[in-house]
Parts: sequence; structure tokens; C-alpha cells
Amino acid sequence: MPIETSASVSGVLIGIIQFLVILVLAPLLTGIMRKIKAITQKRTGSSIFQTYFDIHKLMRKDEVISEESSWIFRFSPWIIFSSTLVVASFIPIFVVYSPFGLGGDIILIIGLFGVSRFFLMLAGLDVSSAFGGIGVSREMMISSLIEPALFLVLFIVAVTYGATNIDTIVSHEVESSILISASLLFSFFGFFIIVMAETGKIPFDNPATHLELTMVHEAMVLEFSGKSLALIELSQSIKQMLLMSLLINLFIPWGLSTSFSIAEMIVGLLVFVLKVISLGMLIAYIETKVAKWRLFRIPDLIFLSLASGLMGIIFLFI
Amino acid sequence: MVYNNILIFLSGTLLITTVILVIKREFSEWIQAYKYQTIVLSIITGVIGYITNNWEIYLAAITTFSLKVVIVPKILVKVTEKINYEFKNETKPYISIRMSLIVSTILVALSYFLTQQIQLGEDVIARSFLPVSISLLLIGLLVMIGRKIALNQIVGLLILENGLFLFTLSLTHGISLIIEIGIFIDILVGIVISSILIHRIGYTFDNIDDIDQNRESIEYTEEDD
Repeated sequence: MPIETSASVSGVLIGIIQFLVILVLAPLLTGIMRKIKAITQKRTGSSIFQTYFDIHKLMRKDEVISEESSWIFRFSPWIIFSSTLVVASFIPIFVVYSPFGLGGDIILIIGLFGVSRFFLMLAGLDVSSAFGGIGVSREMMISSLIEPALFLVLFIVAVTYGATNIDTIVSHEVESSILISASLLFSFFGFFIIVMAETGKIPFDNPATHLELTMVHEAMVLEFSGKSLALIELSQSIKQMLLMSLLINLFIPWGLSTSFSIAEMIVGLLVFVLKVISLGMLIAYIETKVAKWRLFRIPDLIFLSLASGLMGIIFLFI
Repeated sequence: MVYNNILIFLSGTLLITTVILVIKREFSEWIQAYKYQTIVLSIITGVIGYITNNWEIYLAAITTFSLKVVIVPKILVKVTEKINYEFKNETKPYISIRMSLIVSTILVALSYFLTQQIQLGEDVIARSFLPVSISLLLIGLLVMIGRKIALNQIVGLLILENGLFLFTLSLTHGISLIIEIGIFIDILVGIVISSILIHRIGYTFDNIDDIDQNRESIEYTEEDD
């Protein structure tokens, strides 16, 4: 059961703290993952705080906006940023409670990610540059394939725990063991692939490159500058953090605090940070190990996650 | 009952590694994936040995590991060293990789459906591993049919063989060690002979597709994979 004190002052306060933890730690996670990737490639790499410096620098710069662009181009960074922030308030981080937990439905979260992606694609098309068009068509192909797989994988979790509300799922999960159903294993595997695809990791996309043959996400945000670019970069880091914490809290919830006592919450936060960093290390290691896949082979990987979701459904019924 | 969950989890892991094996196109990649699958298989064998308390199955687990994870991949890599890269990479399979993924999930569903009809009683091992072994057999056949390059058809054979091993193990809970060793040596000899044969075919004809590519080239330019 969700914690009863959800309406109290301390509940709201803890909710806000969780929200701020995501907001503050998200760029740090990006920095850490870049650093780990650099180390595994035997480079020195930039500081782990580089993402903060970049965002700070971009905030002070002037924007250059194409004459061809319409209001969509100017509004979309704000829409993307705010829809990502709304998701951030739904997801529990170190306590089995989130401030707007009652509205935190899995389907709503997928929808909000969809909204932000939709406006990013519109903005990419809006400036009518060739790069934007390439990036958008690729992103559309990938995201239209990802979405059914994501639904399938998350519905397995929902059916196993009997709820689509994230709060309820996580609180049921902390009480029961992970061995409750083997289909969670398939769901975990499928969701991991989807996280790699959504955050633009190497078999799918390479955000560090500016080569037009391989760009997907970068091609869409190429026209943004200044504050808009800062907002988009920040919301990209937050999205990565959110997906990774969703992965952690849905499938490996050990150490999550179940009450509002300070000691337990500090332990919960430390365990969460540890889990996020080790997941980031795993992803960075995979990124170093694997080569970027050809665009037309990417559906193979997404179908792998879809197939894993289907097998999970088979395992639900035995 | 605790065993039951662990066994189902292990069978799930085996299915995931099998599916990973299905999407690999390149020779060196699937060798790697085959190693992972076989590691899971030998863990399963060890667990079955623990449950049935039979020392022969532990030996079978160790033999599986040493033979299929170490020796067979080494031999395959060694023999195919000189073959051109284009004969190791599956570019135009008969059944596309995506299709074979979807079909293999249907095969898994089918094998679970079929084995539900059999009265297995209280036998936990057979109930959790029999459907997986049958689906491994079917997936192995599918992969063997779907691949065009002879070198990559071996992967189907290997999946099928792993399925057969699990099939016997899950139904009999360990056959006599002599028979087990005999089967292992058969596999080893089979792998050696088939790889030498492929090597000779490639050496003689400069081509190890099962169809002459020149004759079919006009047809294939149409489809874009």
C-alpha cells in the first residue's frame, strides 16, 4: 500500500526533494557516463561537471533563430522541458512515494515522453533544413517501433503487480520478491534495450558525432542555440535519468525506503545513487564494446525487445 | 516450490540467450552468443544435478562447459580463419532476422501450448525445461532453414543440439555417463568434419553459399534490407 501520510506537509516536502534530486543529479549522471566512456576508451575525458558548465555557458549566450521558422520552433524547447519535468514529479526515487503519485500512470508517462518527442520532431522539421528532415525521419522510424515494445514491456509489469500506477507498482514490488514471476526477466531485458534506444546510446545513435550519416538526435537539435539548446540538453539528461530510475525502481527496487524516517531515506538515496552509477557504467561499457549499427539494422534490435516482451506474456500464463 | 521459481527463471534466461543468438548475423558474433547460451545451459545442468543429487550430471555440466564453451568455438574459429569475411556475414537470409524473431516467439508459445497437454505430474524439472528444450529444437530448425550461408547454418545445428541435450536431461534426469560422453564426442567429430568440409568447399569453389550468387543476383537487387 502507498504510504498513508501522502497528503501531509512532510510528504509534499519529500516529494519536492525527490524532484530536485532528479533535476540536480541528471546532468551529473550524463557527465559521469561520458567520463566512464572516455576512461574505457583510454582517453582522459572532460570533467564530470562539464555538463553543468555547458548548460551555464549556453544560458548566457544569445539565440540565433532562422527566419524561416515559426512559433513552434521557439515554443518547443519549453514544451519539451515542461513535459519532462511533469514526468519527473511522478517517478519515485528513494522513497516509495511521489508527490503527484495518484496521477503517475505508466500510460501517462509514455504519453508525456511522446509529447516531448513529437514537439522535438516538429521543431526539427520547422526550420526546413535538410539535416532536420533526415533526423526527424529517422527518429520517427525508431520511435514508432519503440512505442509498441515499450507498451508491451510495461504492461507485463502492470499485469504482474495488478496496477498501472507507478506508486502502487513500486510499493507492491518492495514487499514481494523479484522471483515473483519469470516474465519480469523478459520485461527487464526488453526495457533495457528500450532505454538504450530512447537515450540515444551507441547501437542506435551516437550523440557525440556530427557526421550526417549517423546523426539521429543531433540532426534534429542542430538549429537550436543559446537558451533553447540548454533547455533541450537539460531535458535530454533528465529524460535519461528518469528512464534509468524507472528501470531501477521497477526491476531492482532493493534498498528503497518504505517510510519517512531520515536514516532510511539517506540509505535509500545512497543506494539509489550507487545503482544509477553502476547502471551507467554498464551502459557506458556496452557503448564502448559495441559498434554503431546501420540504421536499417536498428529494427532488429527493437524487434528483439518486442520478442522478449511477447515471451514475457507467454510466461505470464504458465 | 522455491526450486520451481528458480527453474523457471533459468529457462527464461536460456530463452533470452537463444533469442540473442537468433539476431546475430556475423560469424564471430554468434560464436560469442553461443558461448553465453551454453554457459546458461551448463548452469542449468548443474542445478538439475543439485536437485536430483546425481554426480554424473555434475560431470555432464563440466563437460558441456569445457567442450561447448571452450573447445568447439576455438575449433570453429581456427578452421574458418582463412575464409573471406563476405562468407561469414549473413546479408540476405531467406527469412529476415526480424521475421525469424517473431516466428521464434510463436514457436515458443507453440511448444508451451503443446507441453501443457502432457501429464507430467509433480516433476518440476520436466515441467519447466521440457517446453524450453522443444522450443530450442524448433528455433534451431528455423535458423537452419533461414540462413543462406553454410557457415552460419551451423548455428542452427548448435542450437538444436543444445535443445536435444536439455530434452534428454529434463525427461530422464541424467542418462548414463557413457552415453553422454558418446554424444559429446559425436558432436565434436561432427563439428570438426563439417567445418573441414566447409573449408574445403570454400577452398575449391571460392563460395560457400548454398546457391550460386551470380545466378540469383538480379533477383536480389530488388529487395532492400
